[in-house]
Amino acid sequence: MHKARHFAAFRTLLEISSCLLLVASLAGASWADASERDQDSGGPLKHLSLEQLGDVEVTTASKEPEQVWRTPAAIYVLTQDDIRRSGATSIPEVLRLVPGVEVARVSSNTWAVGIRGFGSGFSKSVLVMIDGRSVYTPLFAGVEWNVQNLVLEDVERIEVIRGPGGTIWGSNAVNGVINIITKNAKDTHGGLATTRAGNTDLGAGAVRHGGRHGNNLDYRAYAMGFGRAPGYHADGDNSDDWQLGQAGFRTDSSPTVRDTLTVQGDVYKGRVGQQISIAYYNPPIQHNVDGTQFVSGGNLLGRWRHELSDTSDFQVQAYYDRTYRLGPQLGETRNTFDIDAIHHFVLKQRNEIVWGFGARWSPSDIVQTVATVDFLPHHQADNIYSTFIQDQIAIVQNKLWLTVGSKFEHNIFTGWENQPSGRLLWTPTPHQTFWAAVSRAVRTPSRIDEDLQLTGLVLTNPLIFICVCDNRKFVSETLLGYEAGYRKLVTSGFYVDLAVFHNHYNDLTSYGAATISIVNSPPPAHILISLPFANGITGSTNGAEIAPDWKATRWMELKASYSYVSLNLTEEPTHAKTSYVSSYEGSSPHNEATAQALFNLPRGLEFDPAYRYVGALPVQGMHAYGTVDARLGWHLAKSFELSIAGQNLLQPRHAELGSVQVERSAYAQITWNKPAN
Amino acid sequence: MPQGRGFRRGQLLSWLMAVSVGCAVIGVGHPLVQGQNSKPTEYEVKATYLYKFGRFVEWPAKVESDSFSICVLGKDPFGPALNAIIANETIAGKSVVAKRIPAPQDAVNCRVLFIGSSENTRLKQILTTLRDASVLTVSDLPEFTQHGGMVQFISEGGRVRFEVNLATAERAGLTLSSELLKVAINVRRNIR
Repeated sequence: MHKARHFAAFRTLLEISSCLLLVASLAGASWADASERDQDSGGPLKHLSLEQLGDVEVTTASKEPEQVWRTPAAIYVLTQDDIRRSGATSIPEVLRLVPGVEVARVSSNTWAVGIRGFGSGFSKSVLVMIDGRSVYTPLFAGVEWNVQNLVLEDVERIEVIRGPGGTIWGSNAVNGVINIITKNAKDTHGGLATTRAGNTDLGAGAVRHGGRHGNNLDYRAYAMGFGRAPGYHADGDNSDDWQLGQAGFRTDSSPTVRDTLTVQGDVYKGRVGQQISIAYYNPPIQHNVDGTQFVSGGNLLGRWRHELSDTSDFQVQAYYDRTYRLGPQLGETRNTFDIDAIHHFVLKQRNEIVWGFGARWSPSDIVQTVATVDFLPHHQADNIYSTFIQDQIAIVQNKLWLTVGSKFEHNIFTGWENQPSGRLLWTPTPHQTFWAAVSRAVRTPSRIDEDLQLTGLVLTNPLIFICVCDNRKFVSETLLGYEAGYRKLVTSGFYVDLAVFHNHYNDLTSYGAATISIVNSPPPAHILISLPFANGITGSTNGAEIAPDWKATRWMELKASYSYVSLNLTEEPTHAKTSYVSSYEGSSPHNEATAQALFNLPRGLEFDPAYRYVGALPVQGMHAYGTVDARLGWHLAKSFELSIAGQNLLQPRHAELGSVQVERSAYAQITWNKPAN
Repeated sequence: MPQGRGFRRGQLLSWLMAVSVGCAVIGVGHPLVQGQNSKPTEYEVKATYLYKFGRFVEWPAKVESDSFSICVLGKDPFGPALNAIIANETIAGKSVVAKRIPAPQDAVNCRVLFIGSSENTRLKQILTTLRDASVLTVSDLPEFTQHGGMVQFISEGGRVRFEVNLATAERAGLTLSSELLKVAINVRRNIR
């Protein structure tokens, strides 16, 4: 046993050091032949004539490091190309490539996506937005990833901000924000059809058509569907299969040169398999149930942006979002109406001010399906009103900026919450950036914190149940975060991004003091241990992420990342000793690393292997693992691409979180993509 | 150890694979092929234009300098692309250099000036400052040529083209070659 542990530790060290070695040698190599490559990358373009240059197709809207260059936060952008070449077929799988983000597949249709610690099936401190629409559920405090699906080819980029973002995005953007942004309809003219088959991705297909109507209305419409196989279950219980169909549209228009208008919407319907353990007051008392959650929903969003003058613009966005979910354990229907307005203007040349306000009405209805799981009251509206202001002050023109601001948000549980931040950005040379920030962010209570009534079995003889229920005094979890970062373009193709953080948390969820009683109702008579949620944990996390990116030549790009986080939490002595501290500390691996290569080979071939290492979760009984995804793409003809991808290749199966294991898998995909004109 | 020996062997294999992927990455030799068409970015193409314009514009003889300066005012959207393109290049016997300048007054020694979109708010002031300077002003700000700029990039259909305000260029003493005017999608011949 001891030996095995030593071996594992040694192997971890070896893997990390080989990764660092790789990075170091890349850095060295890039210094050595920088000048040669400079000419290389500038070469092909500058030998074109003016006329030919006008015919070169470009990737629209630069998503290169330049754009994130002056962001005073730990931001990482996945471009459409990154997404396509990752070979991933769902959004959480794509996020595995982002430094500081912990992705664990819990079952075929459930993921724990954490940022800088605290990953869990519902990662309560990560806010996720799709085109400005929040997909964070106020019921469970987290994201139901299995209903967040998109035609990945139509995603323009995914911006991941590690660290608190409450000043702009509001509550629950405590550890990070994930912004998924789909393409403008003007960039999706023409047809797309894609079909995929494999052993885990059993079958999937998507079609999209886009074009232009009249002078200034661009549109697209799509439909997609997929079926996925269950993960590996040692007991042969294949409960977690997953099927979903979805359709949607987007239009973008500019009625005048100063106005842009976006209208978009989606509808979906699916079945999400799961196995859950449910307690009953009558025999069989506690039972594992294989059940299907029936999910459906849709949304409609409109956004109007208007330029008032050269120095001032505003944006108004409104959306409606409906989610419905009915499983063996619970059902919920939620209708969310949200409206936001943002005004941006320049004051005295040095101040760039953004301010805005918003309101969200989110009534939901609970359907109770078993006696031991409930939310009370059944009907509740989780409404939010908010306003924010932020000023970016140029202290030294083009060199030094200070950004200060705060969000003020009212929620039904805790009233007003403020989330201020101060950020400093310094660009001493055009090729390097330093930034530092101090921010406060809050995770406001969700219905699960105050309204959940969950009963589970402890013992059958004597009959003892435990109930997590009736906590009406839950307050917000708060974060005071200190961060700093550095970016440098070492040479024209070699870019390094480094971030460090110290996060201090107060009032994290724990269990409060237990009360024990004998109850007769519901029958039979039993002992009930009542354990409410409380806010009994304080502590801090420390960590760092480094992400080098080397565009070595036109035919090869190399990327790597290493992320470290350590948690140091303590329970307030007044509270019941519970397992919460260790479960937080065991929620996120201390070490994670990725190494990725993108090759553009002759004859239109692309080869994209990616290695990832994820540290152990001792509390959850999860071993560290390292595995490889690889994709081979082939541009058969102008509009046809054939690709085969293998995922989790290094072992037949491995567990990431929980008992369901992720199997080695492969799929083949054909994509027909014919842009108009 | 629940998985026993198989587990350990698997881990060792995974490490070997990881290192071999790494080695493949380092070990691959020189470019197998050039010009696999991974699309250039918008700003790589725009940076190339900035350099190219230097070959199709004549500056008045009174403009003298040791080097040929391409300047960027405001937020620099090019990143490393501009420096990569002009590295070791000369125009009319002068080495081409790129400069990031903080204020429009610093542009008087520039041959080509790119005005970043961050300068939208003080565009009029910038163009007034440069009214009599022999500097080719370039930007991708909308309506740049209407406001007295000389060359404005226009993106259409995933390609970068440009339009020209010939009148302001001529007033500044610049001579634009017929080839440049032929390629421009629009040539304005009045100041406004």
